[in-house]
Amino acid sequence: MSTVVDAVSRGGAIATRSAWRLFWERLREDKAALGALFVIALLTFIAFFGGPIASSITGHPNTEQYQQVMQDSFGLPKGPTSAFWFGSDGEARDLFVRTMYGTRTSLIVGVIATGIAVFIGLIVGLVAGYFRGFIDTMLSRTGDVMLAMPQLLISIGIVAACNSNKNGCLFGLIQPGLPLVICVIVIFSWPYIARLVRGFTLSIREKEFVEASRSLGASDARIIFNEILPNLSGPIIVYTTLLVPQSILFEAALSYLGLGVPPDTASWGGLLNDAQRYYDTAWWLMLFPGLFLVITTLAFNLLGDGLRDALDVRAER
Amino acid sequence: MKKPLWRLAGLVTIVAAVAVASAVGATAHSSKSSAMKAGGTLNVGWEASFGFTDNMDPTGEYLGDAFGILNNLLVRTLVGYTHDAGGPGNAVVADIATTVPKPTNGGKTYTFHIKPGVKFGPPVSRQVTSADFVTAMNREANPKDGAEYAFYYKPIKGWDAYAAGKAKSISGISTPNSSTIVFNLTAATGDFLKRMAMPAAGPMPSEVTKCFEGQPGKYATNLVSTAGYMIKGSDAVDISSCAKVKAASGYDGQTIIDLVRNPDYAQSTDPTRKNYVDEVRFMVNASNVDIYNKIEAGQLDMATSSIPPAVLKKYATSSSLKQYFHQNSGDRTWYITMNLTQAPFDDIHVRKAMNYIIDKDALRQGWGGPTVGDIANHVVPDAMFGNQLATYAPYKSAGNHGDVKKAMAAMKGSKYSTGGSGMCDAAACKNVLLVSDTRGVDPGMVATIEQDAKKIGITFKVRQINGAYPTIQTPSKNIPIAERPGWGKDYADALTFFTPLFDGRTIIANGNTNYSLVGVTPAQCKSLKIGGNCVGVPSVDSQLDKCSVLIEPTRTTCYENLDKNLMTNVVPWVPWMWSKVTRITSSNVTHYQFDQFATTPAYAMISVKG
Repeated sequence: MSTVVDAVSRGGAIATRSAWRLFWERLREDKAALGALFVIALLTFIAFFGGPIASSITGHPNTEQYQQVMQDSFGLPKGPTSAFWFGSDGEARDLFVRTMYGTRTSLIVGVIATGIAVFIGLIVGLVAGYFRGFIDTMLSRTGDVMLAMPQLLISIGIVAACNSNKNGCLFGLIQPGLPLVICVIVIFSWPYIARLVRGFTLSIREKEFVEASRSLGASDARIIFNEILPNLSGPIIVYTTLLVPQSILFEAALSYLGLGVPPDTASWGGLLNDAQRYYDTAWWLMLFPGLFLVITTLAFNLLGDGLRDALDVRAER
Repeated sequence: MKKPLWRLAGLVTIVAAVAVASAVGATAHSSKSSAMKAGGTLNVGWEASFGFTDNMDPTGEYLGDAFGILNNLLVRTLVGYTHDAGGPGNAVVADIATTVPKPTNGGKTYTFHIKPGVKFGPPVSRQVTSADFVTAMNREANPKDGAEYAFYYKPIKGWDAYAAGKAKSISGISTPNSSTIVFNLTAATGDFLKRMAMPAAGPMPSEVTKCFEGQPGKYATNLVSTAGYMIKGSDAVDISSCAKVKAASGYDGQTIIDLVRNPDYAQSTDPTRKNYVDEVRFMVNASNVDIYNKIEAGQLDMATSSIPPAVLKKYATSSSLKQYFHQNSGDRTWYITMNLTQAPFDDIHVRKAMNYIIDKDALRQGWGGPTVGDIANHVVPDAMFGNQLATYAPYKSAGNHGDVKKAMAAMKGSKYSTGGSGMCDAAACKNVLLVSDTRGVDPGMVATIEQDAKKIGITFKVRQINGAYPTIQTPSKNIPIAERPGWGKDYADALTFFTPLFDGRTIIANGNTNYSLVGVTPAQCKSLKIGGNCVGVPSVDSQLDKCSVLIEPTRTTCYENLDKNLMTNVVPWVPWMWSKVTRITSSNVTHYQFDQFATTPAYAMISVKG
């Protein structure tokens, strides 16, 4: 980023604005992005403290079942009451408490899995796009193989390998539960990022400023990190914010295969998976976790748009 | 001239009577003609996965739902059943044999004569001979062919020697000619005919099975039928050499079993199966909700699936839908199995505490409540004992919700409970591996078990496995506890509940059904690579041997005492439900029948609209 020098109308002193200040001032003008930031901050607070606070207020622990109170004689869950604000889930647990605890699980899966996938994809894409040739071929074909793999079958294979004993697989490196879910999401997500980054890198490396840096003797690493990477920030951030809710939904899909988080661990994806058994009799099961998921998705998207606009120096103001 | 009123009334009455009679006749005619109509396709949805224990290979397949397919549609046996509900459905009748033989030689010899005209379907297409039964028995005895209930045939002379590789044939089976087969037993075995009615005893063509020697489950995709249907595409299979044998197209092992009429089947030789439909298709569907939506829409006709509670309630309470709601006695126990070699369940006090603490009513709620079954208090369903153990409930609690006080009192004697706290507080009580499946009901069951066990200090690390049976059936995986298992009788004798499940001598490396490893010895643990504590594991083998040679009425009393012994002194399970078999059919089904032997729909007796 470059600094901007403003001419002050009085006194002749010239104040500069740092890149971060410039970024903040741009972002501040985007009310939607600020709102999204607030929502994400609130979700983060809920992720840390929401579950215990909800349990404390309602008096209902996260995994406690209330069949006698919140299920009818056919085992169907009952809806919202004064004691159970969101009603009960399919296993007669307090849905409000589970939704609050689910925020933690879903955000952990979404953010961490996305972060790792973006990191790997970024490195692979940068290297492939910058160096081209044999390195590009090897890395791109590896990504293509991953993209061509049947994700469902591979996931079933991972389940069979890692779920049948307590210690997981690969000598305990891949543990069943959250680590395994994150690992599977990362495996199937990084190629998309890598492809995107590679495409942009191929384009940017031909720009004049990159040529100028090279002619001044800049090393490959310097060119990659100082010239190319900053120009990737916009698309990367936007794609990252799109990937977070996708990762959350991927976790829900994995639940169908038994590869999701353990049954007692609350997650929005798991709650929505549970809801499909009762979609015609228990509307609350889909509404509340679904609402949280929609709000989260919207917040990340709006924030991503705002960050892109704030970071892109060429954007019209 | 006025006609008398009474004449007019009479005329009206006659006309009305004729009209009513016509309507009734028409209705009766149409009812009779719409029920049991030949033709059409029966479409059956199957939840999550087939879950077969041996890929539906008759030699090793032990899943009750698979018995329904095999015995109704693909495999005839020397003797069989009428594929009916209740007591009549448990009576043995002649199938391939001309008659049900009476044993001779003090009950140790059974001679069967094969009906002419009973043939193998494509690609073999020839008369069944006595040698084909020898092939089947040899496969059953060969440990490399994946048999899971070979123990039923041990009374045949020479069985053990053949199984150990010490003999080239089973000496107790002789074939004087191609249509006669004689079984000589080491001792009188009162239920031998019922053992011969199981799918593994059906004839097999050696020209096909030789291609699958030592490959458990592989024969299934080329199963050669003797019953009314065959796997679609069987007629296109080339058996001229083993290298050319390819799987029949109608069974892919994972998602579909498509059966069409067997052209070599002679209905005149088979009084027990009606075979109304032209085709039967079993299709796997991940979602039981989708399955029942499709049944309601007529895209499926019935299902092998847990029934979502909402669907259960709708059909059980609606006057218009009740005709499609079928319930029969299941002769089945659902239970939580505890491995006697794995901590902390190698301690009987812990196992007793688990029996006290589990909320059985909550588990049943997850399946649909009292409509789907009765709370189980011991191993064998009460109905099989004629309700003589109806009042026996050694771990009863108020409302079947579990009893923390009693559980803690039971736990106090455990080596895993320090200082008499009544809690399982040793390290072995934490993060205990619990294996679960991925059916719709499993998350709720796991949640209940985790919640209850936590009250006595036991916590679990849960592993959900799609089609969990093969994992649970491998002793070397050392699974401490699993909530998946259910057991239905093999045939109407209490022995079929005890021998497969608790006889230590039946424990095998794969396909094992004695999940708790009752009676396992240190030598077995070594040879089967079982870890954990194999010393001093309680055994009921001697009691099993004593009961198996008895005849009624002492036979049932003996098994009742065995049940009590298991629940009091061994405690391998937490039995929680005796389920009814509930099936919902679509409006396409014009005649539904239940097969009491297999406790599944009697597929060979069901008809649909054309």
